Amino acid sequence: MSGFTFSAEQEKEIENIFAKYPFKKSAMLPLLTLVQRAERRVSPEAMVAISKKMDCSPAYVQSVMSFYTMYHAEKVGKYMILFCINISCQLNGCDKLLEYTAKKLGIKVGETTPDEKFTLHREECLALCTEAPMMRINDTYYGDLTEQRIGQILDSLD
Amino acid sequence: MTQILFKNINMKDLHTMKVYEEQGGYRSLKKAFAQKPEEIVEAVKASGLRGRGGAGFPTGLKWSFLAKDVFPRYLCCNADESEPGTCKDRELMLKNPHMLIEGMILCAYACRIETGYIYLRGEFHDLNFIMEKALEDAYAKGYLGKNILGSGFNLDIYTHLGAGAYICGEESALLNSLEGERGEPRMKPPFPAVEGLYAKPTVVNNVETLCVVPYIVNEGAEKYASLGTEKSKGTKLVSVSGHVKKPGNYEVVLGTPIREIIYDLAGGIRDGNKLKAFIPGGSSVPMLPADQVDVSYDYESLAAAGTMLGSGAMIVIDDSVNIVETTLRLISFYMHESCGKCTPCREGTRWLYQIVEKIMQNKGQLDYIEKMEDICDNMNMKAFCPLADACVSPVVSSIKYFRSDYEEYFKNVPVGSV
Amino acid sequence: MSDNEVTLTIDGKSVTVPKGTKVVDAAKRIDVEIPVFCYHEKIGPLGCCRMCLVEVEKMPKLMTACTMDVAPDMVVKTTTDKVVKGQKGVLEFTLLNHPLDCPVCDKGGECPLQDNTFKYGAPDTRMEFHRANNAKATPLSPVITIDRERCIACQRCTAYSERIEQDSALVMLNRGFHNEVGTFNNEPYNTRFSGNVIDICPVGALTNTEFRFKARTWDLTNTETLCAHCGCNCNITMGTRLNEFMRIEARPNDAVDDGWICDKGRWGHNFMHSKNKITTARENSVGDGKPTSFPVLPHNCTIEDAAGKVAQAFKKIAEEHGPESVGFIGSPYGTNEENYLYQKFFRHGLGSNNIDHKSYQDTPGLPVSHYGVEQVETSNVVLLIASDPTEELPILDLRIKKAVTACGTRLVSLNDQKIALDRYSSQSLQYKVGCEAQAIDTLTHGLARELGEPAPAKDADQSGISAEDMKSLVETVRTSMKICVVYNPSALSGEAVFGVKRLLKMIAKVPTMECGAIPAAPMTNALGAMDMGLLPDFYPGGLSMSDQEEIKKQWGEKAPTGTGLSALEMIARAEKGELKALLVHRSNPVMDFPGGLRVTEALKKLDLLVVHDMLETETAKLANLVLPSNGPGYDEGTTTNIGGRVQARKKALETTQAPDWKIINLMLNVLGDETNYRRVSDVTEEIACRVPGYQEISKRSVGKTGCNREPISSADESVSDKSVQAGKGKDGSLRLRIATFLFAHDKILDASSKLAHHFQPSTAHFNEKDAARLGIQDGNTVLLSAENINLEAIARVDNRCQSGGVVVPRVSDEQGVNGLIGADGGTAWVQVRKV
Ligand SMILES: Cc1cc2nc3c(=O)[nH]c(=O)nc-3n(C[C@H](O)[C@H](O)[C@H](O)COP(=O)(O)O)c2cc1C
Ligand code: SF4
Ligand code: FES
Repeated sequence: MSGFTFSAEQEKEIENIFAKYPFKKSAMLPLLTLVQRAERRVSPEAMVAISKKMDCSPAYVQSVMSFYTMYHAEKVGKYMILFCINISCQLNGCDKLLEYTAKKLGIKVGETTPDEKFTLHREECLALCTEAPMMRINDTYYGDLTEQRIGQILDSLD
Repeated sequence: MTQILFKNINMKDLHTMKVYEEQGGYRSLKKAFAQKPEEIVEAVKASGLRGRGGAGFPTGLKWSFLAKDVFPRYLCCNADESEPGTCKDRELMLKNPHMLIEGMILCAYACRIETGYIYLRGEFHDLNFIMEKALEDAYAKGYLGKNILGSGFNLDIYTHLGAGAYICGEESALLNSLEGERGEPRMKPPFPAVEGLYAKPTVVNNVETLCVVPYIVNEGAEKYASLGTEKSKGTKLVSVSGHVKKPGNYEVVLGTPIREIIYDLAGGIRDGNKLKAFIPGGSSVPMLPADQVDVSYDYESLAAAGTMLGSGAMIVIDDSVNIVETTLRLISFYMHESCGKCTPCREGTRWLYQIVEKIMQNKGQLDYIEKMEDICDNMNMKAFCPLADACVSPVVSSIKYFRSDYEEYFKNVPVGSV
Repeated sequence: MSDNEVTLTIDGKSVTVPKGTKVVDAAKRIDVEIPVFCYHEKIGPLGCCRMCLVEVEKMPKLMTACTMDVAPDMVVKTTTDKVVKGQKGVLEFTLLNHPLDCPVCDKGGECPLQDNTFKYGAPDTRMEFHRANNAKATPLSPVITIDRERCIACQRCTAYSERIEQDSALVMLNRGFHNEVGTFNNEPYNTRFSGNVIDICPVGALTNTEFRFKARTWDLTNTETLCAHCGCNCNITMGTRLNEFMRIEARPNDAVDDGWICDKGRWGHNFMHSKNKITTARENSVGDGKPTSFPVLPHNCTIEDAAGKVAQAFKKIAEEHGPESVGFIGSPYGTNEENYLYQKFFRHGLGSNNIDHKSYQDTPGLPVSHYGVEQVETSNVVLLIASDPTEELPILDLRIKKAVTACGTRLVSLNDQKIALDRYSSQSLQYKVGCEAQAIDTLTHGLARELGEPAPAKDADQSGISAEDMKSLVETVRTSMKICVVYNPSALSGEAVFGVKRLLKMIAKVPTMECGAIPAAPMTNALGAMDMGLLPDFYPGGLSMSDQEEIKKQWGEKAPTGTGLSALEMIARAEKGELKALLVHRSNPVMDFPGGLRVTEALKKLDLLVVHDMLETETAKLANLVLPSNGPGYDEGTTTNIGGRVQARKKALETTQAPDWKIINLMLNVLGDETNYRRVSDVTEEIACRVPGYQEISKRSVGKTGCNREPISSADESVSDKSVQAGKGKDGSLRLRIATFLFAHDKILDASSKLAHHFQPSTAHFNEKDAARLGIQDGNTVLLSAENINLEAIARVDNRCQSGGVVVPRVSDEQGVNGLIGADGGTAWVQVRKV
């Protein structure tokens, strides 16, 4: 299987990653994250490329990759919305807001908009309970959500 | 109120080296390096500090358990913060990253460790930048790297991001994850202090735990130990969330009545509702009903009340809620986060979920409650790691205190029907 | 009680076990059964299934007996109410989503889940929801079926893949309730040892595709026998029903296979019912009208009749032309009994020492201990010489991996090609193809210098190994304390095997050194063939031709004492018309011997060629007369594995055809030998009486797991200590190394084989320097030629060997790679060109 190569920049990044650990194998999650962030998914081709870097079987890469929820086999949208539905957010009405968000995006929870802009996922506690309800879009946390605020946030993203 | 961790927490630019140093940051290092490492371990022991990540294990004791004469050793800061209701570590790192670094340096020196990792949950990508910047500044100042402040002591600290798995907060799963494996917990023994990261002696401590250490070194163990109760020393960050007027992270001296936390600090129950229940230590500990609100917030009192201090997350539930709903949500959480390695957890969480879901569809049978209790008994302390026990906590305690909430759902069920 | 032992109490019974033993294993010793699913002694604890809960005094919660080490004075209880409730609970969870399709499950009757439920479970389930549905039977590979719905996620199979086979090809995917056993991107699980997961799966999730729905397990007749594919002689159980083959399973024997078998052992059995099987005695008309001293066979003659005629014909030729005019090429695949009887037929009956079974040099016996394979684990250093266990002796590969990863053994190798095990070695030195003798001598001399023994001042080593590398190997060997040398005599060219023996003698001189060796020829019974005296210069048991007195004492005054012809010499004499009659037993010189077309021509010149074999071969086609041999599955007797362990191969299938030993017995009778063996064990008994080293061997002593034969005396290596120069080839030609490939497409694994998916195309592996010189790129088609033979192959530029050589794995009979070697059996030089 071919079709995936690391860019020169990524190669450099990978070297830096390896330098952090006394054993190569610790670089597994960082490499998967690198790919996920660049490709918005981890393809089988990328897993093969990672397995070569890591000197392990591609099956092993897939085994690790499929354990963690932040890696996706299918491509996700440009904006990955993780909507917390755990207890503190539940107590603060997240269920309705999630429904609202899905409706606003015109998709079901778990889906990606046809233009591949947004993916909406239900997420377990993300550690911003004191500002519940909350969501995370890509790397940014948004707390104290209301319908209005969600609307504004989504509209501000292009 | 005595503030140790949150003293300057909202001070502008506290996250910068400049402001942190102005507030006395990194002062403890000189003091520490003047002592033998063992003396610091002794001081931490004497301070009575217990782990703030959930288990409450005495920190100094843990450090003293490191396998003798085996090197290298590692320090892993547990910044996985995934316990529902808990968000204190996030605030600490976001606003005061240097405090954690200072704490890690002290721990590493005390334990003769030269490499440390901060294991951040994957979603904390923003914090990763903050921590990396802080680490860079600390290196620049000579607080990290080779021969720190001329002491001859070397230390490197790196950040490491997880990728979405609650179980990686469990220390041995964290180590697996940091080693590039599936985040399944490891068999114990051996404990991390004997065979941890890369099978070497390893200290795993929570962010908050490590953040306390500079204070102990600066101000002395006695001063820290003078705070709190007989068995619960010092202060604790409490993440108060749920139906309170002023949710937030509050630092309280251990032994503070829960009533004070909910009503004074967090402003009481909102919308004119009444307190129904609270979960005092994160979703994994048993909940208590409103009438226990005068229990004091410390390890032993909470234990006596049949629950735990856990990670220090106070989830407050008012009387508008049927507890079965929150219970189902929590079971769903544990079902989602079960690593799947062991049978009781993998199967039990799902079975409980199926049963409670049925109940909520008004399709439950009267014997479901007994069955759930029995399933919980079959899971409890029989799984590979404490995650299954954590799932059992809300189920058993909700049945214990709010059986009538379940019975609500049985009202419309014709006897004997499914 | 030593410091390394611990005494504890389990269910009131006291037991003393070695430190580090798991409670579950300690319990077994006193017949206390603790139920398990995920625990497997060879794989180690996992703690997944929680079936093994026990109560331990002073511990508040139930403990898993499989993960817990024994401790002094520990008090374990396995039958308390708490334990019983825990077990019931765990079983309920385990069965919660397991389909109740036992009536149609192949595991039925031998299923730990059924058994544990029967013993420890509740009579019914409280699960009233729909069970999770998961994929029913889907292929995990062409030979393994996975039923994910039945999987209880015990992780035995994936742990096996990670810890035993160590390639993590089979893994757990996903998390929590959704976890499942799988491979990368749903590719087939096609490894060398994949089938073992079937044996260890405690439910019917992983099943043998060929056995599915063939029979209920309790209807099987299970024969405890041996695998006949390689020199490991792994123990297997062959299941049959109504005299029809059903399946093969591993039959754990720590001294041999450690509980595992390779996929060739499990599925490479199609030859037993091959359409090429020789089932009747027949006469071929060679058709060139040459005079034959052989009487024409009556139509439909019995095998026994034919055998009698063969014996008479050989007798006649031997009488007419002298005993030197007849010869025997035996088989490293035959049983000890067959080999013993045949050498007796030729030596005793015909007075000829023209007896051999191989085309390379070797002599019986070792100057150091003959290690059993389990010694690999207890050695500090394993030194591989010219050996590639992964392809040649698969189970040894697993044993070496285990030794390196779990027992602290260091692996070092001296080889002419890169091998899969290099991953595990701390040092792999590569000599140039054909330079083994030099490389080995340099090592011996290096050691000698360290030990102050006589040695050349400096080696002019042209083998391609640097002086520093060699120095460090000398150091590793010298300081190893306990070393196990594993060498493949059949991959050593020229007289290099004697170099190995000199090396062994030198290693043994290192003070406080424990040194042993495993002669690791890949063929099933290569060692047994040597021990039984299928050699021109040795009687059975390593009795040298030079020891005439002893020979006469043992074998009678008439016993021939002149050194006979080796197999290659017999071919050469046949070519000259000097050898008149040849009997070939389960061997195929036309395909496997050096010399290519010349072998065919030589064989055609014989007055009489008799082939006694189980499958049609190129050699059989040339024979005047063909006798059928039953072969594995049907035959019985003993074989001696590379570790010197003698074990019983039993017949699992009945046939009316006379067994080989009976045929040879008959032939002996024709020559006047009165002995009448009634069963094969009578021959075994005679071996025990007459073959040094085999005194202790009997049907009884061999039992189920075999018995090591005593070391047999080692021939004195009279070969001079001269340094060997590899010959020179024509300009630009490369030295050929023929490598073994486990799944070669040959008569054993024919096109109908279950393992056909493993077949490989013909490849030639180059060093980049040669490739550049020859203008060859990876993937090009190249033509290798020598001895008027051309061989097409796909080029692989992978530096598998040093420059000046080319490695060609023997991937099929059709490829005919042995034809490239000259008739003298020395290193072959091949011309290479791109096509
Ligand atoms: C399922 C599970 C999840 C856990 N999650 C966390 C976590 O997110 N953060 C944390 O610090 N400790 C967590 N812990 C506790 C750790 O295992 C460990 O006790 C702690 O990191 C030790 O540090 P401390 O002694 O400083 O508390 C968790 C434990 C379990 C069983
Ligand atoms: S397939 Fe069998 S061996 Fe593998 S995890 Fe499932 S039950 Fe265990
Ligand atoms: S046998 Fe002990 S946990 Fe599976």
